[in-house]
Amino acid sequence: MNALSAELLRFIVALRDAQIAVSVAETLDAMRAVAAAGLEDRVRVREALAAALIKDEADRAAFDETFARFFGAGGGTARDAGRPASRNRAAAAGGGRGASGAVARALDEGAPPPAPAGAAGAAKDAPAAEQRSPAAAADADASAAAAGDRPTERAAGAAGREHPAGALDAGSSRPRAAARGRELPAADGADGDARRRAAARVARRTPFAAYTALEYEAAREALAPLARRFRLRLGRRLHPAPRGRMDFRRTIRASLQHGGVAVDLRFRARRPRHADLLILADVSGSVSYCSNLMLELVAGVQRYFRRVHTFVFVDHLKEAEFADGHVASEPGLDLYARSDFGRVLGDLWQRRSEFVSRATLMLILGDGRNNRRPARADVLRDLRRLCRTAIWLIPEPRERWGTGDSAIFQYAREVDALYPCGNLVELERGLERSLKTLF
Amino acid sequence: MNVTPEFVTAGLQRANYVTNERVETAIFLALALDKPLLIEGPAGSGKTEVAKVLAQMLGAELIRLQCYEGLDEARALYEWNYQKQLLRLQADEHQGMRWEETSEHLFTREYLLERPLLRAILSPRRVVLLIDEIDKADEEFEAFLLELLSDFQVTVPELGTLRAHEYPAVVLTSNRARELSEALRRRCLHLFIDFPGLEQERRIIELKIPELDAQLAADAARFVNALRKLGLKKPPSIAETLDWARALLRLGVTQIDAPAIRAALGVLLKHEDDRARVEAKAGTLAARPR
Repeated sequence: MNALSAELLRFIVALRDAQIAVSVAETLDAMRAVAAAGLEDRVRVREALAAALIKDEADRAAFDETFARFFGAGGGTARDAGRPASRNRAAAAGGGRGASGAVARALDEGAPPPAPAGAAGAAKDAPAAEQRSPAAAADADASAAAAGDRPTERAAGAAGREHPAGALDAGSSRPRAAARGRELPAADGADGDARRRAAARVARRTPFAAYTALEYEAAREALAPLARRFRLRLGRRLHPAPRGRMDFRRTIRASLQHGGVAVDLRFRARRPRHADLLILADVSGSVSYCSNLMLELVAGVQRYFRRVHTFVFVDHLKEAEFADGHVASEPGLDLYARSDFGRVLGDLWQRRSEFVSRATLMLILGDGRNNRRPARADVLRDLRRLCRTAIWLIPEPRERWGTGDSAIFQYAREVDALYPCGNLVELERGLERSLKTLF
Repeated sequence: MNVTPEFVTAGLQRANYVTNERVETAIFLALALDKPLLIEGPAGSGKTEVAKVLAQMLGAELIRLQCYEGLDEARALYEWNYQKQLLRLQADEHQGMRWEETSEHLFTREYLLERPLLRAILSPRRVVLLIDEIDKADEEFEAFLLELLSDFQVTVPELGTLRAHEYPAVVLTSNRARELSEALRRRCLHLFIDFPGLEQERRIIELKIPELDAQLAADAARFVNALRKLGLKKPPSIAETLDWARALLRLGVTQIDAPAIRAALGVLLKHEDDRARVEAKAGTLAARPR
């Protein structure tokens, strides 16, 4: 392996340390990209590496920072004149590490004289990733603090997406995540719309557990296109498609025009299978963001079902009302009571004749934490026998299932499927897979 | 063909596409490494335009696949021309052909309806394949696309495996209506195009509408730039900026002031709320550049 590839590999390790997932295939792409782009132009090398390695614009700020730290800031760091701030800060960060290594040297020779050239050759032997100078770290903290309106938590959430375990102890991952996310709001600058879009994008990956009221708002904005997709998908179910079962009689009748040759095939419209939807959503504190978002999503598609019953519960059942596509307030629930799934299932069993039929898709959302009360999984088994499909959506991260007072594994045995829905992307996927059982 | 960065830069210039080094490098790499290029960014920032310019640059045909909810292989790849096969069958019957003979030519390329993806594969010359708004297609289709993008071959059971003579240059665009799968992202080079900066937008206006007064073009760019910072429901895209500049030209506007803004605002803003907001502020927005 030559010096150049070794240097690139170390750069990629540094990127991974900055919580950017880089696969082996992408590493190879990056090598090829640099080979194709040549080393004469620093900006071109940076953009080549970015195109091969960065697959999400949210990661871009962290990439720029790592690049500047690794290969020196050089001449034209900023993408265009619109980002003078990031250039200065990147230059400051570059000074800490020093522009060492084969690539950096080549870049320094080829490019216009870089600002931090004096520090070249400084910490060459030290592993790059952890070598952040106090000055640069202080800068990161200061800018994170200056940005003020909670970009740090958001970034912490984003950082946790490749490392769910990291998201659990958000406290320890925060400083690095702060450094990573610090340019996200700054880069979008005064552009409020871009910031909103970026916020919505990050919120989709942020675990519900790390949500703040601000992220919840961003997530609600991100719901609109999701709801639209669900509507389209469910709507399509009702329209006859030009495939599937052929309608023999209508095909023969149409063939009479063509002298009895079946030129024009007719297909049977899909029989609209009646579907009922029964939702049990735990709205206790720990999972309330998740269940509220799910209810919002479902509110948009309820007209595609024959009947929709939505129950919210903490320790007993309450039916929630929808008003013009949104969930009306839940009446009389003590949100701080302790969840009791067993009692809720028992309540439902009592009233099963009203709500459960062979056409029912039963969706249960909750973490299955029963506060050590009787789980009564047998009731769930009986309920599942009565309905078409029973699916459990769980907002908790996988590694916490079954720990402590969680009865989720007892319940998991009694449903048709258990889907994780720890963030908006997973919730979307889980709901989509659930609704697919109706097709 | 040996692609150099300079070739790409010159090609973009020839096509009147104003851009920055980020876009140039990404396009160059997509050509040099023969990898699909995934472009994301807000609506109207010129994503689709990249593919058109690329086709122009390479002198290649542009094949476009517009994705939508429910798009399937039959619409994207190929379908047998059932009606034509049936006619052939009848004609053969009249000539008293045996089934063995008939079946031999019934499943040939002649009876294959080539949809965009197959067309891109079978084209004898290099083409540019634009897969537009991939985020609108279903996840199943995305998975199917993965397989195709990796080696550009497809198996038609009756015909065998069809391979591309020349790898097409592939451009995918996405508006992020849905998260694309990691697998697809991995296989593509990624490019994010945001709205252009002030200077870049001024150059775009000058290039596309040369008859517009230079000062007016600069003012128009500044005004649109200010609009994008207001946090509107739908910030104006580049295409809308150009339409607006053309409208100004037609209206014989000589400077951008409040009446001029009010006159043609409908070209720029498509939401009533946005319009009301900007109209109320028209005076200050027009005055600010000074």
